[in-house]
Amino acid sequence: MSAVDNPKQPAKEWEPNIVGFACNWCTYAGADLAGLSRMQYPPNVKLVRVPCSGRTNPQFVLRAFQKGADAVLVAGCHPGDCHYATGNYFTRRRYLLMQRMLEFMGIDPRRFQARWISGSEAPKFRDVVTQMTEEIKALGPNRKLREEI
Amino acid sequence: MKRIGVFVCHCGSNIANTVHCEKVAQVAKDFPGVVLSTDYKYMCSEPGQVMIQEAIREHNLDGYVVAACSPRMHEPTFRKCAARAGMNPYMVEQVNIREQCSWVHANKEKGTEKSIDLLRMGVAKVVKNEPLYSTTIPVTKRSLVIGGGIAGIQAALDIANAGYPVTLLDREHTIGGRMAQVDKTFPTLDCSACILTPKMVEAAQHPNIELMTYAEVEAVDGFVGNFDVTIRKKARYVDFDQCTGCGACTEKCPKKVPSEFEMELGMRKAIYTPFPQAVPNKPIIDAKHCRYLLDGKCGICKKVCPTGAVDYEQKDELIVERFGAIVVATGFEQFDISAYEEYGAGKIPDVITGLHLERLMNASGPTAGKIKRPSDGKVPEKIVFVKCVGSRDEAKGRPYCSKACCMYVAKHATLLKEKMPNSKSYIFYMDVRTPGKNYEEFYARTQNEYDAQYIRGRVSKIFQVGDKLIVRGEDSLLGRPVEIEADLVVLAAGMDPRGDAKDLARTLGISYDQHGWFTEAHPKLQPVETHTAGIYLAGACQGPKDIPDSVAQASAAAVKAAGLLSKPELTSEAMTALCDEAICSGCGLCQSICPYKSIEIKSINERYHGQMRQRRVSNVNQGLCQGCGACTVACPSGAMNLKGFTNDQILAEVDALCQR
Amino acid sequence: MNQITKEMRDLARELLASGEVKGLIGWTKGSRWYLTPPLFITRPEEAEQLYFDQFAVNNLTGLLLDYRYGDDKIALFVKGCDSRGIVRLLQDHQIKREKVLVIGVPCMGMSDKKAVTDPRQPVELPLLDKCLECRYPNPVIADRLIGGALVSGEPSEPKGLTASEAAKRGVGSKQADRFAQVKAIEAMSADEKYAFWQAQHEKCLRCYACRNICPACNCRECIFESDKKGWVNKSATPTDNAFFAVTRAMHVAGRCVECGECERVCPMDIPIMALNRKVIQDINELFGESDAGTDLDGKMPLGLFKNDDPEEFM
Repeated sequence: MSAVDNPKQPAKEWEPNIVGFACNWCTYAGADLAGLSRMQYPPNVKLVRVPCSGRTNPQFVLRAFQKGADAVLVAGCHPGDCHYATGNYFTRRRYLLMQRMLEFMGIDPRRFQARWISGSEAPKFRDVVTQMTEEIKALGPNRKLREEI
Repeated sequence: MKRIGVFVCHCGSNIANTVHCEKVAQVAKDFPGVVLSTDYKYMCSEPGQVMIQEAIREHNLDGYVVAACSPRMHEPTFRKCAARAGMNPYMVEQVNIREQCSWVHANKEKGTEKSIDLLRMGVAKVVKNEPLYSTTIPVTKRSLVIGGGIAGIQAALDIANAGYPVTLLDREHTIGGRMAQVDKTFPTLDCSACILTPKMVEAAQHPNIELMTYAEVEAVDGFVGNFDVTIRKKARYVDFDQCTGCGACTEKCPKKVPSEFEMELGMRKAIYTPFPQAVPNKPIIDAKHCRYLLDGKCGICKKVCPTGAVDYEQKDELIVERFGAIVVATGFEQFDISAYEEYGAGKIPDVITGLHLERLMNASGPTAGKIKRPSDGKVPEKIVFVKCVGSRDEAKGRPYCSKACCMYVAKHATLLKEKMPNSKSYIFYMDVRTPGKNYEEFYARTQNEYDAQYIRGRVSKIFQVGDKLIVRGEDSLLGRPVEIEADLVVLAAGMDPRGDAKDLARTLGISYDQHGWFTEAHPKLQPVETHTAGIYLAGACQGPKDIPDSVAQASAAAVKAAGLLSKPELTSEAMTALCDEAICSGCGLCQSICPYKSIEIKSINERYHGQMRQRRVSNVNQGLCQGCGACTVACPSGAMNLKGFTNDQILAEVDALCQR
Repeated sequence: MNQITKEMRDLARELLASGEVKGLIGWTKGSRWYLTPPLFITRPEEAEQLYFDQFAVNNLTGLLLDYRYGDDKIALFVKGCDSRGIVRLLQDHQIKREKVLVIGVPCMGMSDKKAVTDPRQPVELPLLDKCLECRYPNPVIADRLIGGALVSGEPSEPKGLTASEAAKRGVGSKQADRFAQVKAIEAMSADEKYAFWQAQHEKCLRCYACRNICPACNCRECIFESDKKGWVNKSATPTDNAFFAVTRAMHVAGRCVECGECERVCPMDIPIMALNRKVIQDINELFGESDAGTDLDGKMPLGLFKNDDPEEFM
């Protein structure tokens, strides 16, 4: 519940809303490990659990921007470590193109990022989330590709 | 609208300390579909579980969301909980407000806000959940082991001893593999044949093992639990049922051919057994060299055979057999040293490989165990070893370490000194790698007690002067060039994957690395599995290995295979891909991306404008699919979907996260 | 009547009379001097209606999708650019090789009818941009050839009866500028890019003409038609149009055969090829040069990978 849909609360400072797609086997596990290690990071990135980064359809990314996400993160196992052997290699090819396509459409490349975060890389997860949140805070709310409300 | 329950867990104080659990539960009451929302101290505890089950019955819930720890931790718990209350276990979603909220966000307000967002996402997803079911597949309780080297033999024996029938297949006409060529084994120096041949005989006589030698895998259909394997039984031209193995044919055969087993240092006949202890110990005719088969002249073997076993009319035979599990143990090839022209490799006869030396040392080898130079039969005194030939050499496309060479060179130097006390071995090396039980000690003895001289450095050139071989190299420790006048040079040739390993990999549907070594499912945690369920790896086909490692891996693979065969039936993954045939246009984009070869194109008949027509559609084998979802993204029309993570569900999650 | 038209009619008559094919797709002279639209015929006597000139621009390959489940063998004429669509459809298993008879024609370059000022007055018109940029003026696949056409699976000079005319008109003369528009857009600032595309998304009617002509858009049911799946609103709002534009480009990524028909048929003059070319350029840079639809055994760049593909995500 945020200030936008609860008029009784005073308007709060704007916070970036970042949708993160995390593969179950590496990045989601890395995020869990960050929790177990009680690392602190900003709450702006919210993870959608997918079995594999290769499950992340670029259309999900477009949908997130359309519905008002300020940035999107796609994260999975490092190439070579995919639980499903090859999924992330296809992810890499697809999102190398997608990232360039979004930039071509005028989207700041910082608003769409892909990262490899393994199940043991809790510090990396924390750092990626922290850095991305800071970058998006600096960029401000995303209006591009967003549907009119 | 489905009736959804929401259960927010405090996890004692783990969550409740930094998340307002009651508030989260309160807010969730307004989410679409939610008919009950409550919080409790420990949802995973027995009282918590009972509470959920009662709520499911009382409120007639269609599904529920539990906001608690990571689903990687307790998803099975909450699914079982649903099942106990008669709800399909896949009607449960778990959102992670502990690892990803309370433990990482000290600010209680912000943590609470994020928990609410995640819960909104979970509810949005669960209303789109559908009951899922896993299917069961029967298991054919037989295993195929491809390759009858030490790894294959060990795997076959272990599976057979676990009580399951095994077919042990070898493309050669005897089992034994590379180890049969080896003279002695490190670090114990026991004779290779003495420890191998009993195992060969044991395999041959085991009631659960069927030997199928001189046979190759032609095609593999089916999937885990039920592989239909087409095997080509190559024509032997000898009827093994009649043959007694008396050897009269071999003795009388007039055609001599360089023996592959002896590394062409000795000769064999056209009808032959490769070595005296071969199993099965019956001869076959080598059709490429048999005079009768080539031009119809000769026929001596048939004349002398007392049992009439020789049959020139025999043909290859194709058979199809069903196996539940497959162990691949196809081993390695010795690196072809002729790539090293600077060493005169392949040109100078006295520049040989480690396997050549094994045969020269072997008492039943071509020289009856006397070390003689191939060129002139002289007994060498100065012997130079060059290590890392075809290993750790980027320029030759072999960046990897072949692992066994350091030890076999130490073994060779030791044995040479034992056989010929006046000889001296010089060993050029890059590093000496001896990580194995009693390996380092062995290496130390080679230097200290057997007088082997280790020279750190690469050899740049080897050439002939008179009957000597000049080995020119560098001692990088002393930083100066070295030149040794040697009588014999042994190149410690590394291991290569089998030349046709990639073809076999494609036939089996397993993957291989850039060199052609078969790829294990996980380098650390699944070292004997492949990405194809039911196919396991043993020995050097997966990467260079020595005998102890190969045997250990073979036993590991055997346990995996036997474990699979021990199951009454297999339960397939419930969250698998599913193709909507009405939408699918059969383009096959999904097929090429599937890591499990679980998608095939099938033809369906449908009525169209009053006529029957055929149409291609994708079909996901529910037994093979592991649910990665790669196919769903390759499919432009959205015909392919992943149960449990459908397009609809993920879109709903995205929408819920953005709708704030 | 020109020589190619004559050969076209002769061959069509022969193929239909002998029963080798049940139908034939070609072009006919339209109601205006600058129109040469598609024609489907089934009887030998209809062959007289066939016609070929510098206005026979339509890529006919997509029309084969109407016959994809039929048992009848269909013949059709292809120019170089069109022929890559045949390879696309074969690779996507949307047509059976034995059910299509591909007739290669040489191409003199197609004229840009948007340059017509007076519909009553035939004049020499400039070439379409896509013809100036053409790299495959000769068919990459054909069962029969007319007009001296030659098959070439590689980029090549125009061949056949119209070779000199094509050269004179400048076919392929601006090959090097294939990515000029992509580069120009890339040079803009993020906001300029967005404004540029937003203007296009505002124009888009979502008439799907681009999709319907495209040989790579050969799904039985396009996700943009699927009302139950809820990928995107059917209304033509700029945001939904942007979703459509990017998704369409990603769906044909590595599969687009560069026939340029999507852009040509767009009633709102949206530079659709700039998106396709952007993807092609990036694929070439990232994964190695390839031309989709030139090799039946060619692999889709997004259906394979290399272990050492560029690594930017770290």
